[in-house]
Amino acid sequence: MVKKRRHISRRKFIGEASCAALGSTTFLSSVLNLGAINTLAARPHIIGSSSDYKAMVCILLAGGADTHNVLIPTETSEYDAYAATRNDLALDINANPPEILDLDYNDNGLTYGVHAGMPNVRDMFDDGDLSFLANVGTLIEPISDYNDYINGGKQIPLGLYSHSDQIMQWQTSIPQTRSGIGVGGRMADLLHAMNSIPDISMNISLDGKNRFQSGNDIVEYAINNDTTAQNIGFDGFPTWWSNSGFLNMTKDSSINSMVAESYANIFQKTFGELGEQTIESTEIFKAALGNVVPLNTTFQPTGLSQDLQKIAEVISVRSHLGSCRQIFFTTFGGWDHHDDVINNQNAMLPILNDALHSFNEAMKELGIHDKVITFTISDFARTLTSNGNGSDHAWGGNQLIMGGPITGQQIFGSYPTLSLTNPLNVSDRGRYIPTTSVDEFYAEVALWFGVSPNDLDYVLPNLCNFYSTSGCPAAPPANYMPIGMF
Amino acid sequence: MNSKFKSFALSIWAFMFLVSVQTQGQDQIIGMSENIDNVTVETSSQGTTTQGINTLTQDGFKPNLNAASRFLAQASLGYSFEDIEEVADMGIEDWIDNQIAMPKSFNLLDKVIEYHNFRRDSLGDPEAGSSIRFWDYAWWQYHVTSDDYLRQRIAFALSELLVISRFSNFNNEPYAFSDYYDIFMDHAFGNYRDILTDVTYHAAMARYLTFMNNPKSDTIENIFPDENYAREIMQLFTIGLYELNNDGTEKVDTAGEFIPTYDNDDIAEFSKIFTGLTWGDRTTFGKFYPHDDTSYVVPLQMFNEYHEPGVKDLLNGFQVPDRVPVDGNADIDDALDNLFDHPNTGPFVCRFLIQRLVTSNPSPAYVNRVASVFNDDGTGTRGNLGAVVKAILLDPIAKSCNSAIDTTFGMLREPFIRYYQLNRAFDINTMSGNHRNDMYYVQMFVEQKPNTSPSVFNFFQYDYQPIGSVEQNNLFAPEFQITNSQTITGWINGLYRWVINGNPADEYDLYSGEPDSNYEDEIGSLDLSDEELLADDEHLHMLVDRLNLILAQGRLSSYTEQVIIDAVKEFDQADAEDLVLRTRLAIYLVMSSPEYLINR
Repeated sequence: MVKKRRHISRRKFIGEASCAALGSTTFLSSVLNLGAINTLAARPHIIGSSSDYKAMVCILLAGGADTHNVLIPTETSEYDAYAATRNDLALDINANPPEILDLDYNDNGLTYGVHAGMPNVRDMFDDGDLSFLANVGTLIEPISDYNDYINGGKQIPLGLYSHSDQIMQWQTSIPQTRSGIGVGGRMADLLHAMNSIPDISMNISLDGKNRFQSGNDIVEYAINNDTTAQNIGFDGFPTWWSNSGFLNMTKDSSINSMVAESYANIFQKTFGELGEQTIESTEIFKAALGNVVPLNTTFQPTGLSQDLQKIAEVISVRSHLGSCRQIFFTTFGGWDHHDDVINNQNAMLPILNDALHSFNEAMKELGIHDKVITFTISDFARTLTSNGNGSDHAWGGNQLIMGGPITGQQIFGSYPTLSLTNPLNVSDRGRYIPTTSVDEFYAEVALWFGVSPNDLDYVLPNLCNFYSTSGCPAAPPANYMPIGMF
Repeated sequence: MNSKFKSFALSIWAFMFLVSVQTQGQDQIIGMSENIDNVTVETSSQGTTTQGINTLTQDGFKPNLNAASRFLAQASLGYSFEDIEEVADMGIEDWIDNQIAMPKSFNLLDKVIEYHNFRRDSLGDPEAGSSIRFWDYAWWQYHVTSDDYLRQRIAFALSELLVISRFSNFNNEPYAFSDYYDIFMDHAFGNYRDILTDVTYHAAMARYLTFMNNPKSDTIENIFPDENYAREIMQLFTIGLYELNNDGTEKVDTAGEFIPTYDNDDIAEFSKIFTGLTWGDRTTFGKFYPHDDTSYVVPLQMFNEYHEPGVKDLLNGFQVPDRVPVDGNADIDDALDNLFDHPNTGPFVCRFLIQRLVTSNPSPAYVNRVASVFNDDGTGTRGNLGAVVKAILLDPIAKSCNSAIDTTFGMLREPFIRYYQLNRAFDINTMSGNHRNDMYYVQMFVEQKPNTSPSVFNFFQYDYQPIGSVEQNNLFAPEFQITNSQTITGWINGLYRWVINGNPADEYDLYSGEPDSNYEDEIGSLDLSDEELLADDEHLHMLVDRLNLILAQGRLSSYTEQVIIDAVKEFDQADAEDLVLRTRLAIYLVMSSPEYLINR
């Protein structure tokens, strides 16, 4: 009955971890059906250049952030349209002290500013460490305008404007179905074997279970922002007991025996597998975290800053985790501002600003600023019009993307004129059809991360709809880079 | 109970226990699913009886102890050995009727007020504020001292359906949370339509889903009604996203696609309904009026001049008329009827309740049977929750231990319920009979306690699929949404704190600076005295059997029992302190095992 325990000598990997220089190209030209994914585990470790480390950090702004007040058009006619539509929700371009900070950016006369609560974001933008992606959102296929939306026979994302669906689709990038499998999980399915310790997930969560990091073959490993080598794992009998070592071993190995049992019941089986993975990963994490050297960069005591500090610490011991690729995830929630959006954003955007800034500095301190990207996602943008002093659920919005690999000081995509008569608007409340799809955004991230162009359709099954004019499936164009962020 | 009497009681118990196992002709299928590997598994408490065909499902038969325990794991949040005996003695149906007839012990709100008054009196300050801990204390005091198990279980489930959370801008308002929770305690066996009314007119919900002071449209200024409540009352509280058959399966159109129950235009129409409402204790409508503790316990009031006039086109062709003069309350009444009477509401609510009580993946037939009772309780009444609850628990699928032959039957126990179950199983008690538990550690370890979900989408959604077998079989396992490496480790470390270290509850003061001596007789501890008597080598198997019965309904396999016995034996039975630790370690290990953690 007892499942045969794996006796991998994990320790021998620790310390000799080095990164494969290759992405999924070599591995996966033929692995596009789910059943074959398990064969990934059989691949040999590729020993390559240890300098090929790459990591991404996904920050979910849960609740649907009102990002039209994060990145604001400041050219006169564009601003006037914004102000007329948003009414009491508009930031005042003439306010003193300022409500909008100008960005060092001019695209044929079009200029933009950021919310005044984000001075470091402004500085990072101006310094080339950060860019924005404008009017991005969930799509199954391109929709050109309101007429196309109504009459074009286009597939519309399930549960548009609904939290549960849109927060899911931003993580799965498959808006026509409800699924627990996310983009980061599928990337990890493909690339996991680049990491040298199989027990350690490529995907590390500071927010427990999430769809973004769940793959067909990959489960996230969750830590807290106060997790350390000292407190990780099971609590045990006090060390001053003469036989506490033995008793703790007995206790913990009993738990191990129970979770490692083969269970017929599907829930017992699922729990057992999760428990077993937890125990195996925790052992390695404990050893790795023992090597954390405190950073000089200071982080604010906010939850988000503490999450990003912990991520920076984990990155700093990546070689002890055998990690050449890491996908981090955390959530900064509370953006569902049906009420009091102005005051709430005044309080919350500085938290995001400070956290991003500290993390950017920490990556420089660790000397890997050119290997790590950080980006925000959110359920949706919010209605441009007001409900009295808040805004409701909408669609396309603006996201931040930060880090050395990114071409900085850019506003990627296309920022629409924020008037209710814009053909992209589909509602008298001001809801915009996205002009860049979540698929296109993730496609570039995946390619940078090492996913082969031939494997993009595993990570992003709808992507073909956005580049092929002759039906799908079809291979992506040569040097496919729909946005040009990298 | 003195020790002499206790040991007498114990021997009686052991005798009764054996007798009941030997004499009841139950088919013993527990553990059967483990037989697939040609390994015979039987829990040692089951004896050797194997004949008899599922007598449990036949009227008039009383459940054996394992079956009674299994029933209580569905019908209560937690229970003790004595409760198991009561169910076995009384029979399931009579027990349910008895529970439904049992009055509520007290209003949670009244307990909060009592704590608040105590603080005011102690500080000599009539203006002294309240604290959210009063709500924690009140919840705990009620639940560990009251025997209306079924009401507690249903109220807790409803609090996960019609969600408000302390992760909100009224997070320090015990009056709000206690008075809101009282809705579910009061109507646990009442009518779902009444719950919809009370929730809609409750200030806590109005703040949580932001329809407090929500005015009518002003199209000149581009200001429109808030859509938050309009959307969520449909998606989460009544009808869900897709047209359902009465058995809970989705209807499909001619193209084979699911049929949405509403679109954004419908949301806009419903958003007009929930305009004009403000605090019940104010004389004017408008944002940013002050409110205090007691403002939360007065139903919202309607200011018709701020309510959207005109017709509203609701669902299934129903139209709210253009009332002149405007009558917002009548509009709300119509709209709630429109949702309550929607054919989806029965299967939607019933599927949710079955998932909370019995199994994550109820068969369409099971949902259909229960939803039919929701639609008509036999007297022509729709929405009778007492009848629905009875239909859920008396359904053959719930009652029959045979259900567990199906390897997809059952559910992961909610982590907070496990914590409460531990305390109730071992009679958490204090010297004074008063408890103060703010449940800090359970929330920290497993991310769950009453009213602390991250959003209106509860701690988990009904259709959550963890990857692996559950997802591959297209099944649901909601509770796995909060099951990850942190919460798995956290649960086991929680057990260490609560059981092995003996700190089951987290007591704090009622007001800042209150001396510790004020509440040292309100420190909770578990009563393991019955169990400790069985901790020596000779009786150890009886200890594990007893824990298996009380905590795991006999679902622990002999393999797991042996793992636990082997571990426990590492503590020296000749040492009194070690003997105590034996019992505690046994509980810790039972409650760490997947066979316990899955309720089936």
